[in-house]
Amino acid sequence: MTRYLEIWFASARYSVTRTLMFRFDFFLWAVVELFWMAVNLLLIAVIYEHTDSIAGWSKYEMLLLVGTSLLVQRFLMGFFWSSLFELGRNIKSGAFDFFLAQPGNILFMASTRKLDLDGLLNSFVAMGVVAYSVHRLDLHPSPLDVLLYAAMIGCGLIIHYSILVLTISLTFWLTSAQGVEGSYFTLSEFSRLPSKAFKGVASLLFVWILPVVVVSNAPARVLLHGFEPAWALGLLAATVAWFAVAVFVFHRGLRRYTSASS
Amino acid sequence: MFPVLAKYHQSFLIGLQSNLVYRLNFAVRGFFSLFHLAVVYILWGAAFATTPLIGGFDFNQTFTYFVVMLVMQFFVGAFNEDYQISEEIRSGLINQFILKPINYFAYRFSIFVAARLVTGALILIPLVVVLPFLYDHLTLPTEAWRFALVVPAMILSALIQFSIAYCFGMLTFWFLEIQGFVILSMAIESLLGGQMFPLDLLPGWLFRVSQLLPFYYQTYFPTAILTGRIDFAATLQGFGIQVFWVLVLLAVNSILWRRGLRRHTAVGG
Repeated sequence: MTRYLEIWFASARYSVTRTLMFRFDFFLWAVVELFWMAVNLLLIAVIYEHTDSIAGWSKYEMLLLVGTSLLVQRFLMGFFWSSLFELGRNIKSGAFDFFLAQPGNILFMASTRKLDLDGLLNSFVAMGVVAYSVHRLDLHPSPLDVLLYAAMIGCGLIIHYSILVLTISLTFWLTSAQGVEGSYFTLSEFSRLPSKAFKGVASLLFVWILPVVVVSNAPARVLLHGFEPAWALGLLAATVAWFAVAVFVFHRGLRRYTSASS
Repeated sequence: MFPVLAKYHQSFLIGLQSNLVYRLNFAVRGFFSLFHLAVVYILWGAAFATTPLIGGFDFNQTFTYFVVMLVMQFFVGAFNEDYQISEEIRSGLINQFILKPINYFAYRFSIFVAARLVTGALILIPLVVVLPFLYDHLTLPTEAWRFALVVPAMILSALIQFSIAYCFGMLTFWFLEIQGFVILSMAIESLLGGQMFPLDLLPGWLFRVSQLLPFYYQTYFPTAILTGRIDFAATLQGFGIQVFWVLVLLAVNSILWRRGLRRHTAVGG
């Protein structure tokens, strides 16, 4: 365990050095992410100019939800995105051999290679959005609620990570799965909606089968309504299940890996 | 008829073929767009639950706006033209065009037109499949002038879309990586091009500012004409600004091309 922590710190150090080398890149990507977050927040602001409630959620409740969803996404971007994005490319090109030769858990080594400091920097902005919404709603969450919120964000991060690993693992079967990462962004759009807005088939698919809604709704509800056992257990179950599926599929795919032809 | 057009006709045909090769990728992308429509349906459906009109339009009119917007994006939107141009500059493939009597912009534009015909046709397939579900929610105004004027508006929009992508491609002469710029511009375009929400829902002054920017004329303008979000007078005025931006962007492209070539070192040629 401590060995993996050491490896992770080494990757983090390497990423910091890299960022310091490409300062303009860091700045540009930080602005890019900030803009995308602003676009999503503006959508909420504009809709609430014309209506008072979306599925029973007020403006700042909705802002809290979107902020939470963005926070989980920023952590995914910061901690895992670059590494997993390259994983797909490496499986295709054969450069993945390099990871197979390393003395450690392959999935761990492949997903912690690079950290994106711009994503981590913007997670503070997302936290700011959440804190601002909490302030405007005049909520006073207890330290325990905040702790629970943080734990649920952690669960959300694991779920997002698992879904991304699943989509990237498709590369083992499809060889060229360019653009499958895009499907992640499409799915993440759903996590900015309140669960009550889903009806019928949509509710079955996005609330019960895919974990995209529970990921953001469960933590947001902790701050709004306190601890709700059903939501907490639902999130925990989804986290364990999706992580297990992702690890299983990744290792199944690994068996098919034949390195590059040339 | 025009011998000079013959060569671009050929590149158009090649573009048509090479894009048909990726028909499956485009079709998959089209089906994923349906998920975006699902988000739109759920979000705006919930927003309309407590109010019958938003910005003077009902739910069906607003939903139709997003469907038309999607079709517009596939018919006139630039997809990855900026990357393709960037790649040709970086790899040195562009050298062959410098040596031949061919205009690179015209060559690229003919391929762009071919690509849009293919993607435009392909987005119609998933839409036709889900049409039974959508049909009750689709509603368009019936004035004839809207259907007549949307065509030139779309052609000019395509020119603006392509010119902006071309500009970003040209940046490769100065920067190694253009991905950051492209994704930044995507955020601005999705907002000011009206992909996130109909622009007339913005506060009045902001809406008027957006009307002066080129992004408004990328997808919002033709979509607004067809879905009845602007009247005849505003449409004519819009055409004036749209033509202005086409000319400005063409001029910028030609400047970037000439300046860029001076820096070009023809690596790998």
